[in-house]
Amino acid sequence: MNSETLNTLDSYSKNKYKYGFVTDIDNEKPKKGLSEDTIKFISLKKNEPSWMLDWRLKSFSKWKKMKEPKWANLSFPEIDYQDIYYYSAPKGFEKKPKDLSEVDPKLIETYNKLGIPLEEQKILAGVAVDVVFDSVSVATTYKGELEKLGIIFCSIGEAIQKHPDLIKKYLGSVIPPGDHSFSALNSAVFTDGSFVYIPEGVKCPMELSTYFRINAENTGQFERTLIIADKGSYVSYLEGCTAPKRDDNQLHAANVELIALEDAEIKYSTVQNWYPGDEDGKGGIYNFVTKRGLCAGKNSKISWTQVETGSAITWKYPSCILKGDNSIGEFYSVAITNNFQQADTGTKMTHIGKNTKSKIISKGISLGKSQNTYRGEVSFLRKADKARNYTQCDSLLVGNQCGAHTVPYIDSKNNTAVIEHEASTSKINEDQLYYCRQRGLSHEESVSLIVNGFCKQVLQELPMEFAVEAQKLVSISLEGSVG
Amino acid sequence: MNIQDNYLKNKKNIFFSENKDIQIHREKLINIFENDRFDKKNNESLRNINLKNFIDFKYKYLIPEETAVINNNQENSYSIVSVNGQCSSFKDDKIEITKIQDEDYDDFSKNNTIENNDHFVNLNSLFLNSGFKIVIKKNNDIKIKISNIITDDNLTIFQKNNYICEEGSSLNLIEEYENKNNSTSNILKVIKLEKNSQLNHFLIQDNSPDHNLIITTHSSCKKDSAYTQKVYNFSEGYVRNFHYSELIEANSEADLQGIFFLKNHNISNNKTFVRHLAEDCKSNQVYKGILNDRSKATYFSNTYVDQKAQKTEGYQLSKGILLSDNASYFSKPELKIYADDVKCSHGSTIGPIDENAIFYLRSRGMSKIAATKILISSFINEELSSIDNEQMAEIIQKKLVRYLSKVK
Repeated sequence: MNSETLNTLDSYSKNKYKYGFVTDIDNEKPKKGLSEDTIKFISLKKNEPSWMLDWRLKSFSKWKKMKEPKWANLSFPEIDYQDIYYYSAPKGFEKKPKDLSEVDPKLIETYNKLGIPLEEQKILAGVAVDVVFDSVSVATTYKGELEKLGIIFCSIGEAIQKHPDLIKKYLGSVIPPGDHSFSALNSAVFTDGSFVYIPEGVKCPMELSTYFRINAENTGQFERTLIIADKGSYVSYLEGCTAPKRDDNQLHAANVELIALEDAEIKYSTVQNWYPGDEDGKGGIYNFVTKRGLCAGKNSKISWTQVETGSAITWKYPSCILKGDNSIGEFYSVAITNNFQQADTGTKMTHIGKNTKSKIISKGISLGKSQNTYRGEVSFLRKADKARNYTQCDSLLVGNQCGAHTVPYIDSKNNTAVIEHEASTSKINEDQLYYCRQRGLSHEESVSLIVNGFCKQVLQELPMEFAVEAQKLVSISLEGSVG
Repeated sequence: MNIQDNYLKNKKNIFFSENKDIQIHREKLINIFENDRFDKKNNESLRNINLKNFIDFKYKYLIPEETAVINNNQENSYSIVSVNGQCSSFKDDKIEITKIQDEDYDDFSKNNTIENNDHFVNLNSLFLNSGFKIVIKKNNDIKIKISNIITDDNLTIFQKNNYICEEGSSLNLIEEYENKNNSTSNILKVIKLEKNSQLNHFLIQDNSPDHNLIITTHSSCKKDSAYTQKVYNFSEGYVRNFHYSELIEANSEADLQGIFFLKNHNISNNKTFVRHLAEDCKSNQVYKGILNDRSKATYFSNTYVDQKAQKTEGYQLSKGILLSDNASYFSKPELKIYADDVKCSHGSTIGPIDENAIFYLRSRGMSKIAATKILISSFINEELSSIDNEQMAEIIQKKLVRYLSKVK
């Protein structure tokens, strides 16, 4: 390796987290720890009906009997669930502000630092933003316009109050609380998140977006998102996250459920840039997310796109259950790990219906001393006639102290189904680098160009509103060398 | 009967039961069996099978009469008959065959670091009752054919073989497993390739439906050595092929290939695992399977590249054809890479026979069955045509024809 490459690596690994700051707001917290009392406190604070509390308590009793899944290629200290606050909401938030001017100016300032001024964003991007600051929804914009179309876009807490029928019918239908310990935990203590319902035949005219941040120290965020696309509807949903710099590990165990009925399509895009810990692997967020979509109806489609650059630990497998005939599942992912980050991410495509199709494109880039694992399962059940899957997962290694791993599980029980899987692992191609340098690009620019090209297949799947941000994030992850 | 009683009852029949160190190790193994929850989901060695049948077995073993090593009169060519896993000792200036000794137990059985939870290897270590060791002496070019014979029904054979290729030697090894009695063979082979040596290892498996065959090999390659393994599985009974290879010194190669032909209720579990521990090594893992009726197969392949193992090339390929609605195939091609200057890839496909190809052949007047058979043959043609031993090629061709005759 030449010295220039070493310099590049050096600057890669020294690149600091830009968004590390803490907003000082008084928090109203219950006691630390997880017990029935904590759950009752959350339920009371959120003014929930009794059936919801029962559901939470049932999930809690399931969680008590469960152990964390251990199969992932991750190592982290035991999580002390009794050392975490399960509810934190800025004071006075039981009554929601009606518009942005009522919101605590410090909050607005925080978002400004992040480069997403709410007011500007309203005008510029035309995006309705459901901002989650810690656990309570701060402001929901563009609500009126969506209401005209009959679209429901609100916090899950509000949905529990206003649309109990939909919640009762769909909550936990894709991710049952007893699925594994993190889903049980989330079901017991979830505090906020988004709820989207697109009525029959409606194409949502704008990208729905939520921006949430983890702010208070030692507060686990337990998001619960539920998106239902009724027959023939379409929605594109964006999720993006940044978090301030902390030394204590913070736990995040979100659940996201998508349900697409007949002819409906859901596109779910994520850019995740939480605090990954410092150069020595200290601090950072533990991200244990369960995301699952159900293509319940015929010809439905669910598409996941994710750009993962943050978190000390990422444990995330956005999946599709392709139940309806002719349904389609897609998964596009870029995962970049640096320093001591560990990512074990991938997808699960379960083909149940006839003529179901799925496509998986996964790109992993490992730098520093990080470990990056793709773990994916594709299974064709007996009745999945003529089902089709294509999987491609490529890994790029930069530096000789990181690791890139690929662990696909492929299971076929149908003899008309076709599955193709390919994967490759390599370092940045010297010939490509040489070619770029020959044409007058600096080493940094060349590496940047090659990495961007490597990710392009995935980045181009992101909606316009997000593409810019995603590219910025990829650049930030490589900043100082490839900006 | 639990495993401890089973062991104590048959202790006198089992190798090395007087050795204290081995005894201590075996007690640990018994503990594993008694305390393990047998996690089917995460333990690869348990997939698709009922381990209970293998743990709750009736131990039966017959010590064979002496068997002879026949030197075929052809130069450098030997044929060995192994009866119930044992073989008589033999020595000349090129090879040496001996009984396995206490110290041979330690290889892989005791120092089994790769697969602590492989219950079949543990069973083998515990009930070891047969086996032999072959050493190929320096700079010799040898051919050996081993036929495995089992003399009685319902035998439980736990066999351990050690093969050592000394510096500069070259071995062409053909092993045949064709048994018609309802026995269970659990065989562990430890293969060591010294500097600049070569081993071409062929395994032909063709057992009757009630015969269980469990083969585990563990090869380690030193500098400039090359290990090639080709497995042809035509068995109608359960077969497990787990093959591990370690490239411990620079510029060594491992090539693990296999083809399996399954029908009826047959089950086959396959695994290849290559560990690259030194630089400039190459590996290749290719498995192809054809599954008919209600057969089930698994294939786990794994390439591990250590941080030191720069300039590694590691390739994997797995292909499966499902001929029936009820067949199922599970494949898990894994890459674990800790070095950056590597070229590693894997490809995996599972599907039916290409309809367009069938259509093409049928439009030229061929029946559907004939077309199917041609396409199956072409699917594995690359592997078959690469066999350089004429006699071998003929045997395999015959078995293939027999398999195809059952395809409808």
